Amino acid sequence: MRAQLRSELLKQRSTRTNLGLLAAMLGLVLFVELLHGVGLATGHLDARSEQLVTFGRGEFLGVLFAALLGALSITSEIRHGTIRPTFLVTPRRGGVVAAKVAVSMLLGAGAGLAASASAAAIGAAALGLRGIDVQLDGGDYLLLVAGGAAAAALWAAIGVGIGAVVRSQVPTVVGISAWLLFVEGVLAGDALDLGVSRFAPGAAAAAISGQDPGTLLAPALGAVLLAVYAAAVTAAGWLATTRRDVV
Amino acid sequence: MSTDGTAARRGRDLYRRPLRKPPEGSPGYPAVSVHSLTKRYGGLTAVDDLSFSLSAGTITGFLGPNGAGKTTTLRLILGLAEPTSGEALVFGRRYEELDQPARRVGAVLESNDFHPGRSGRDHLRALALAAALPSARVGQVLELVELDAPASRRVHTYSLGMRQRLGLAAALLGDPQLLVLDEPANGLDPAGVHWLRTFLRRFAASGGTVLVSSHVLAEVAQTVDQVVIIDRGHLIASARLDELAGRGHSLEATYLQLTTRGAS
Repeated sequence: MRAQLRSELLKQRSTRTNLGLLAAMLGLVLFVELLHGVGLATGHLDARSEQLVTFGRGEFLGVLFAALLGALSITSEIRHGTIRPTFLVTPRRGGVVAAKVAVSMLLGAGAGLAASASAAAIGAAALGLRGIDVQLDGGDYLLLVAGGAAAAALWAAIGVGIGAVVRSQVPTVVGISAWLLFVEGVLAGDALDLGVSRFAPGAAAAAISGQDPGTLLAPALGAVLLAVYAAAVTAAGWLATTRRDVV
Repeated sequence: MSTDGTAARRGRDLYRRPLRKPPEGSPGYPAVSVHSLTKRYGGLTAVDDLSFSLSAGTITGFLGPNGAGKTTTLRLILGLAEPTSGEALVFGRRYEELDQPARRVGAVLESNDFHPGRSGRDHLRALALAAALPSARVGQVLELVELDAPASRRVHTYSLGMRQRLGLAAALLGDPQLLVLDEPANGLDPAGVHWLRTFLRRFAASGGTVLVSSHVLAEVAQTVDQVVIIDRGHLIASARLDELAGRGHSLEATYLQLTTRGAS
């Protein structure tokens, strides 16, 4: 297992893909925090809950990019065919999936940490420039950053699981992006008011970092729920990889 | 209670290693043995009740027209696909049961199984790490396939011949006893084919076993000791090369006759 972990870490380091993802993510964090921090009217920024949501954009971007990073860790191998030598060297394929989940969670946590921390820092700086008081205390910041890292780590595992089940790179990436960027939003704003949106995995991730406590689950509950999602999806990915023939 | 500790240990050893399997590496142990191997995909039978075995130290050409089931058979042997029935064993075990498969078997199934943005050296390093092989092996196999100079370049800058050699380097990382190559000469220029032939002969001369598939007999005729010919998943012939040629026809004519029989 240690051998597989070291191999997966090297695979992640030895292409420019992750650097590109990291740069895109941080660029979007900068963009959204400046846009909101500078552009929104004071009346939309001075309350604590509004500041939590604005700074929480970092959590969202961390989650999105961590999920993509996890998904690419397996779909990229399938797309380029390196999955064949990988499984020839480690024919007990479950070990490869486990190593990909572990390494993706580690890198995903890093991405979540970077996105959440930079969002909070840029957001606070933007508010400061406009002379708006930041209402958040140390506990809020801790939850934003640590929760953002935890949410991104769990979503990275979900990404590996989805990638292992779907296998094809484009549908995997489009599916994850469509879910997080579109479906969750539709659920949250659903006219039928089914009240299920806060149990969705993207909303659970936002709950972990303490955003919007009125609508979302409590952070601990969000963490447990997202962990259950991650366990279920990675189990599906593990089963799919160990049971199906290698393409 | 028995006080004979030796007998107890022997009992445990027997339990660990079933009797029907002779000790690994013993003489006469087939490098590859395929028994009634069958693989169906839905209604299509890709491999149909196929049986053959390869003794160690030989080069075997695995021949058949396109779509005969060669690649599927190799994938079954290498544990990448699960047989519908029958079994394929490598050194007496299923591939996934080998302790350190990279040290026993090296395989190249496609000529381009690389991430284009990763260097040749990093591709090999990742595999060496996963197989827990000493990192020095990476430099050694790069030298062996004459890729040490461009090893730090990203694979997308490599020519087809360089990619073929990088694939071979990956297969050789664990210094295996068996090499399995699927259509390795595809797309190689004459110099590349010559290099490959020389390489395989040297590998076999040092005691290695080679299973090399091709749909063109002429590609492998000068290299192999024996051939296994399949068509539509069935075994057509399994013979030493000189036996095949001894029937009074040219090798190519015999091969064509065997693989087009019954075709309409």
